[in-house]
Amino acid sequence: MTPFTKYLKLSTIAAAGLTLCVHGAEVPQRIDIKQLSKTVEDVVVPLPNEIFGALNKLGTVNWKEHVRNDKGTNFTERPRIALLLGTVIADGFIAVQAEDAPTVKEIGQRVLALAKGIGVGNSITPHAKAIIEAADKRNWDSVRQELDRTQNSVQQAMNEVHDEKLSQLVSLGGWLRGTEVLTSVVSKHFSADGAELLHQPDLLSYFQTRLQAMPEFNLPILREIGDALVQVKPLIDVGNARIPPKSVKKINDITTRLGSGIVTRD
Amino acid sequence: MNASAKILLRGSSLLVLIVALQSTVAASVDDAQSFALQAAEPYVKEGFQVREDYWGGDLGSGEKKAVRQQLFKGNEYWFWLGTEVERAKISVHIYDSDGKLAEEPDGWEKGHFAAAHVIPKTTGSYFVIVNVEESPEERTHWALVYGFR
Repeated sequence: MTPFTKYLKLSTIAAAGLTLCVHGAEVPQRIDIKQLSKTVEDVVVPLPNEIFGALNKLGTVNWKEHVRNDKGTNFTERPRIALLLGTVIADGFIAVQAEDAPTVKEIGQRVLALAKGIGVGNSITPHAKAIIEAADKRNWDSVRQELDRTQNSVQQAMNEVHDEKLSQLVSLGGWLRGTEVLTSVVSKHFSADGAELLHQPDLLSYFQTRLQAMPEFNLPILREIGDALVQVKPLIDVGNARIPPKSVKKINDITTRLGSGIVTRD
Repeated sequence: MNASAKILLRGSSLLVLIVALQSTVAASVDDAQSFALQAAEPYVKEGFQVREDYWGGDLGSGEKKAVRQQLFKGNEYWFWLGTEVERAKISVHIYDSDGKLAEEPDGWEKGHFAAAHVIPKTTGSYFVIVNVEESPEERTHWALVYGFR
């Protein structure tokens, strides 16, 4: 995204946000959230490792069992490449959690190939190189930072050529893969705190809204994801109640099925 | 000058004006972002990973904006707000989904920088309220970045 395009996008978010009156320097202890817009016009979608970091603090996770080496299908449809790119970047974060340098390096190459396939390879080349170099040095913080930069650069490049919808599919792919792994980990070692990490109803609504605005991408996988989000919504939008093990398992079944659909041809 | 040349000249002038305007506006938001990142810098040494993505826009003096952000219990977050308008006074505060102030007491405001610290008690949506309290400019560009560990 060019800075100006980004500015316009951000201004739109700002315009959709709330203009409040200044009440002085004292910080109000409470605000009336009903006055705030209920619409999530745009969000900074959390990185998978933001969730993985919280998950790690709940206990030891065997990240190696979640590392995926499958290179996936070579798609020609740009929306499919975008979805896959998001999941591959998420796989990069998983490989970093597992401190699996060879897989991280493969993912660096894969990300570059997919970015080229979607026409934004140039902006990714330096990041792919940095990921590989940092993985060689086992500098995991740098790899995490470069994966974030990679996703940001891909999305900026897409937005620059007015491919915002593809950019949103990158985020969606990453979110689905992150949710698949989160639910897999929590299903195996259930904890209420782990399940609570799924409490992301506004984010899910955001993705639903975005998908509904992509009728031109007439692909079975996108329809399948749209239907799946409808199924997942009531399972995570539970207010102050706890998300039970049964729901976590069901979300894992759904996201695993979608994950498989994203990497394989229809 | 013939009519075609005049149209071409006017078109070119308009294009130059649009490009110049875009550069000016974009530079301001980019500058605001670089100040927000400057505020974040010391925290990187403390293990915070600062996200590449950010929010931004412009506000009049005394205006606030709210943005919504998904936070995860178990993580610790800092939000850093910056503007390029050095004489502006800005602030950032964080509320939970019930509208209750959710931040730690060590947030700070230093002229055209401000920061808020939150250790979420629950996973869910939070509201980040950005405020341009005072500014000599009619519109003040702002940018908000965040980091977590």
